[in-house]
Amino acid sequence: MSRGMANNMQDKTGIYKHREWRGLKDTAFDYGQWCVLWGKLIKWALGHPIQNVKAILRYRWMYTYLTVPSFFDRICEGQRGAGLRGARYNLNYLAEVVTKEFDTIFSADLNLHPGSKKAEELSKKIICMDELVPQLMCRGLPDNPVILYQMFPVYLPSLINQHTPVHYIGQSELYGLPADVCPLPSYEAGVAIEDDFPKIGCCMLSCNMPCDGSIMTTAVQYRRHGLPEQPINVPLRWLRDDVQEYAVEEFKSAVEFLEEHTGNRYDWDKLKEACEIWNAQNRAKFEKWEYNRTEYPPHTGSTAWLYRIFEHQAVCGVQQALDNDLKVNKILAKQVAQHKCPKTIKHRAVLWNTPCNNYANFNNWLLNCWGIDSVCEMIDIHGTEQIDTSSRENMLFGIAKMFQTSTMRAHTKGGYEVMVDDLWKKYEEYNCDMIILFDQISCKGVGAINGIFEEGAKKRGIHMCTVRQDLMDPTSISRREMRNDVNTFMQTVMNETPVDASLVDFDDDECW
Amino acid sequence: MKDLKHIRFFEQLLEQANNELVMQAKAEGKVAVGYTCYYVPEVLLNCGNAFSVRLSAPNTGSLDISQYYMTSFICGYARALFERAFEGGYNFLDFYASSDTCQQMVRVVENFHELKLIDNPKFDYGIIDAPLKVSPHGLKMYIGQIKKQFLDKLNAEYGVDVSDEAIRKAVAMHNEMCGIFEELSELRKAENSVITPREFHILSIASYTCPTYLILPYLRETLEELKQREPDAVNRWRARVVVVGSELDDYAFSEILENCRCYVAADRYCFGSYPGRQRIELNDTEDALTQVCRNYLETNQCPRFMSGEKVTERREYVKKLVEEYHADGVIYEQAKFCDFWGYERMLNTEILREEYGVPTIGIDREYVVRGSGQLSTRVQAFVESLEIKKIQTKGGKDE
Repeated sequence: MSRGMANNMQDKTGIYKHREWRGLKDTAFDYGQWCVLWGKLIKWALGHPIQNVKAILRYRWMYTYLTVPSFFDRICEGQRGAGLRGARYNLNYLAEVVTKEFDTIFSADLNLHPGSKKAEELSKKIICMDELVPQLMCRGLPDNPVILYQMFPVYLPSLINQHTPVHYIGQSELYGLPADVCPLPSYEAGVAIEDDFPKIGCCMLSCNMPCDGSIMTTAVQYRRHGLPEQPINVPLRWLRDDVQEYAVEEFKSAVEFLEEHTGNRYDWDKLKEACEIWNAQNRAKFEKWEYNRTEYPPHTGSTAWLYRIFEHQAVCGVQQALDNDLKVNKILAKQVAQHKCPKTIKHRAVLWNTPCNNYANFNNWLLNCWGIDSVCEMIDIHGTEQIDTSSRENMLFGIAKMFQTSTMRAHTKGGYEVMVDDLWKKYEEYNCDMIILFDQISCKGVGAINGIFEEGAKKRGIHMCTVRQDLMDPTSISRREMRNDVNTFMQTVMNETPVDASLVDFDDDECW
Repeated sequence: MKDLKHIRFFEQLLEQANNELVMQAKAEGKVAVGYTCYYVPEVLLNCGNAFSVRLSAPNTGSLDISQYYMTSFICGYARALFERAFEGGYNFLDFYASSDTCQQMVRVVENFHELKLIDNPKFDYGIIDAPLKVSPHGLKMYIGQIKKQFLDKLNAEYGVDVSDEAIRKAVAMHNEMCGIFEELSELRKAENSVITPREFHILSIASYTCPTYLILPYLRETLEELKQREPDAVNRWRARVVVVGSELDDYAFSEILENCRCYVAADRYCFGSYPGRQRIELNDTEDALTQVCRNYLETNQCPRFMSGEKVTERREYVKKLVEEYHADGVIYEQAKFCDFWGYERMLNTEILREEYGVPTIGIDREYVVRGSGQLSTRVQAFVESLEIKKIQTKGGKDE
């Protein structure tokens, strides 16, 4: 069967020859939301035109954001019905938040406004935080804008344009960093070496999440930003009761640090309100997972997991985010109730380990080419416990637990059982028939239990396809090589024929 | 200089993890406790009838099996330990005291457990979660973890006496060994020293990999011998360096430096003497466990510590060693695929050179370094640059 989706892409760049045809209703919706996105971007660009041009000229990573519409199209490839609606609403909400954050960052950025008193005053209010620390902890300081320090120069660009990290990783390596370290902290170090972090903030909350490389890149970044810094030391063996007290103490000491450097009193009532909103956001997420366990999984793929990461880190405890969740859930619930499934699903897969940032639309390709629906993904599952807000003490324990089970580390830390056993559990829960295991070659913590995965799958008779990738570095493993790993597995082990033969092999090395 | 009386014996001890002294201790009914990291207080593993063995995998060859289980991007030390365990080389171990401080190392013990690699029915293990900065609540957690994960298990499962009195006894024995190393280190301060880098490295590794109470007499005798030893008539060393870096239990590294006539004046690496071979002073007012844990947490120089003061302290520490041991430069060595030391090496080679004014190079190396021509070439080049620097400095003064 051939649908010829790849025929709509230009060779190498992958740029569409025309917008995807999804049927009248879905195409109209998709086009409408695409226009909404452009509206948001134009509004942002015209808000502070000179400042924004300066930012684009000052920061290499800012160029990446010019390709956002194309990125959104890519990660919506092949989506229909409720899934498409969920994807577009999530993405446009994300775009709204990001453009607002850009306004804050660039208005306060002393790199763009050297000597400006206005910028300096705003900068002094800003709390910089490591992108892996959930912003929830700063909801008790509502007068201080919070910026996830690496989210905008590092994490988001790595998803939007596969080529952006290459330059920065190269800078780190030129400086002497071994090429085998994880590209995420290496990219962060490269941005610091290049002096490409905005010059903002009154203080910095760093952390030991998610891994050893991230711990170490903190020192590189510190040399550049020079802000008063406090590392939050989040326990690793998070299943243990005897480390929880320490986690709470770390949180308390971070609050003291923030009070000292912002000059504001921490408002515990505001924090409680935010925790309750976060609990509702989490419940909305549980519902989404429940829908994906059915025979009609409505919303899967990167528009789901990317939004989850963003929500967990950046908009946790924010009412607008919850409103978006509820709106999306209503649409998804309706489709599930109608037993509709507007996509061809031949296999239900669990995708385990960190997904590949430089191939964010890998999920779309899996579905469109082979009919593999990624009904469950490890990266989507973190910070799942409800925070008990009945007392301040309980709330602190709840937040501390949320930190310990933050993005990625909910599985990569806490002992190998957390990572391995949960995979077999999710495989059953989601009624899957195959596993896609990402072999993120520079992730040592997961690589070191490779054999346990292999033997576990063999023992259980589970089809497990290993896909090599290097998180943010397409020069190590390209998108095409990732696809080849799947193609070989599907053809030789599963004896499958593709849903869309045009997608089996194509060249998109120059694609954003 | 004449060979040291026991040097061949020490070398033999380093031929395998289950060496003659380990076997002797086991035959005496002692409990063998393996460990790998400074976060695990060595002295506490020598309480009562337990003895510590810092794990190494001498004569490592092919790593094919570990490559399958752990992939090829994992540090050679971790893979070598896995491979050796797979071959049955650690079946003598009764307990493995591990720490979740380096994600690759903690996976070693997890593989041991899951794949049942230690063929010893008594085998058990504990993993501590240790803080990345020094604080009162961090110390409290650290003590709690050590107690629960190591001491309570050793006591309950093997009958090891972990009382305050037993800890103080172990500290006394540990201090005696450290006293010997402090004196050995003093000898290294001389321009034409009576102890070679290779010899010091061998003694240091032996002290970590053998039961303390059994290695002590040999160390004592060797120290006395060294005190009487006459140095070579001509000082053959072209440069003096401090070696800083990650796990290094292959004394061939020091041999390579020695062959380049480069003297290792001080060592700050795992299996080295800084930190780890300095006495622990105990008072009588506080319990011994707390004092020992505080000592290990505060003296720890692992790059994993991420608070600003610790990051700076690590550089100051190296600078202090350079001054105290009259070194001309620093060699930062990093085991390949070690994330911690990869970053530390990158940053500190630059900072020590540019901001502290200390000539520094950074090198990466395999777990087994014997016969590494590349390493030798780099060290030679560094030694030459140090020599030129010395000549230039002298020339400048003469003018």
